Amino acid sequence: MAGTITAAVTSIGLAAGARVVGVAAAEAFRAGVPEGFRPEDILPGAKSVVVAGGDGPTAGAWRCPDHRVMEITGYDLRENVAVHAMCDYIEREQGHYAVQAPSLPVHGHEPPMSMMHAAELAGLGSRSLAAHIILNPEYGLLYYAALITTLPLDPTPPLAEPACPHPGCTAMYKRIGTTPCLRVCPACLAGTVKEKRIETSTYDREKCHSRAQTYGIGSFQKALLEIVNEDDPARRREQIHSEFFTKSIQSLGFFRDSIAQCFECMRVCPVGRKHRKLK
Amino acid sequence: MSELPTGATKTLKASALKAGASVVGIADASAFDAHAPKGHRPDDLLPGARTVVVVGGAQPRAGDWVATSPWLLSTMGTTERIQGVGRRLAQAIESEFGYYALFVPPGTASGDAPFLSLMLAAELAGLGSRSLAGPILNREHGFMYWSAVITTAPLQVDPPEAVPACPAPSCREMWEREGTTPCLRVCPLDAGGCLSGRLEGARAVRTGYDAARCNTRVHTHWVGGFQKVLEETLNEPDRDKRKMLVYGDFMTRTLWAITYSSTNIAQCFECMRVCPAAHGLREMR
Amino acid sequence: MTSFFRLDPEVYARHKDEVLRLSNSFQTIDARGCSDREIAERLGLDERTVTEIRVVAERDVYPLDEWERAIEFKRKACTEWSAAALKRPDLKEP
Repeated sequence: MAGTITAAVTSIGLAAGARVVGVAAAEAFRAGVPEGFRPEDILPGAKSVVVAGGDGPTAGAWRCPDHRVMEITGYDLRENVAVHAMCDYIEREQGHYAVQAPSLPVHGHEPPMSMMHAAELAGLGSRSLAAHIILNPEYGLLYYAALITTLPLDPTPPLAEPACPHPGCTAMYKRIGTTPCLRVCPACLAGTVKEKRIETSTYDREKCHSRAQTYGIGSFQKALLEIVNEDDPARRREQIHSEFFTKSIQSLGFFRDSIAQCFECMRVCPVGRKHRKLK
Repeated sequence: MSELPTGATKTLKASALKAGASVVGIADASAFDAHAPKGHRPDDLLPGARTVVVVGGAQPRAGDWVATSPWLLSTMGTTERIQGVGRRLAQAIESEFGYYALFVPPGTASGDAPFLSLMLAAELAGLGSRSLAGPILNREHGFMYWSAVITTAPLQVDPPEAVPACPAPSCREMWEREGTTPCLRVCPLDAGGCLSGRLEGARAVRTGYDAARCNTRVHTHWVGGFQKVLEETLNEPDRDKRKMLVYGDFMTRTLWAITYSSTNIAQCFECMRVCPAAHGLREMR
Repeated sequence: MTSFFRLDPEVYARHKDEVLRLSNSFQTIDARGCSDREIAERLGLDERTVTEIRVVAERDVYPLDEWERAIEFKRKACTEWSAAALKRPDLKEP
């Protein structure tokens, strides 16, 4: 019975625009998630977490030689629509509670629940050397949203074989001791590969923030502090009307279009690249 | 202007429900005159306005109300979904019926004042009535989000709701017993909250509402919060202390809320969380 | 009467490195960072203070210059990739 309902939920998510849908048991979060950030901390009696992955930039966007285009192209947030469609089905047709999992940061960079961890547990991908971004073995980079429900569903198991490192990257590491992502962004990333597996991997989130969110909340705060600390009116005027501060404010207003502003570790990643090859 | 086709009202309502609205009703544009100040009536926004189509829906689900995370309702709001339905109806009225249609913008005209009160529109369209706590409650679905379209189309108007959802029977019993209601108890005006009122039989009478305080709760991290911290920062002579304010948790969260305004639009639901009439009728497992 | 929370710059300076180190700021793939509550327990601080220290430190750790370097980094990386992709339109492997 749970299998039939799981299939129905999944098909609704896919029909609403998700590229992939997976299910994790709520209890699977306990092992790796601190108290206060688990599904049952958000929805009492939570049994399952359904995760939807949505497409990122189009193949054409990846080919654009001007990095600023992808910085403001955004994406269509279909995974969130899929989650809402599945929530509606679960509450209306199955009579169980369902909520969209809260994923926006509420204290600094910490979200109430990690969508990356949810995607991993739902078998949709595995962590990569590239900022530990979850890579789907078929599509590579996807964007994730999730729902939490009291409805018991059949979990999809975590990946048996990790998507990262890609065989090409393993070969490259063997040859020259690095991978495409580690080579392109040594400032944020470091890691080693051993026996076709990630052996070690570190990621400097705050350095990455200056690249992935060059213009946005952080840059606005950085620039604002400089402005309020500036005593000279002429210099302060320059700062206020500078391109950097102007673009920072624009990014606050058009944040949906400016969600991700650095794609360099993903640009060179071969996982899912076949879907970026068109005529 | 073309004649309105027979059955146009029924067709329009069906398409609203199909587009995702939970309820749809139609108000007479002139009915606003008795309640709304000049400048905030349908005819002020669309000359020749005859009716106002109101849709309700996208309300928090049952799961949202029972969730224990304080962040859920305040950061994952769904208000915007009903606005999409409103926009679609405006397009349909113009393209299918040939009448002017104006989607009422959800933003404010000035300060906190809306162009047209969507709550008043919902009430006049027979979709609900004002609760003691303030929001309009629909008898079947409870608390909802609203969107409205002003049109020159002479659609068939709905009568106002005959029996209000508020006060709920259990609130009347509570009032008899304790002299208060769940909403008044959770946010009492005389103890630092926003609401005061009483029940007179089956009628709720609101005697006080501190809108400014309510604003600090509903929009804790919002434009007002940003302005407050900015003022504190500019008045702070010590540079290290300024940094604590500009980089601090309150400012950061406020900027997140402003940027993701569509899902952070409401940040306090406590009077509605405790309201027995606000959550619809269906039992969940 | 509760007043607006203000972090003492001295408390911030004393704990910021340790709070950031224990959090998810600098990540290792096989070990999760601590929540603010867990950090508070370790350092003997209250959770609210730890949250405030962490949030300020996340923004404070790199200077504004790093943002300028980010712009140049992306321009260069994207241009180089684009040149390579056009030279090798069949690019499939790194």
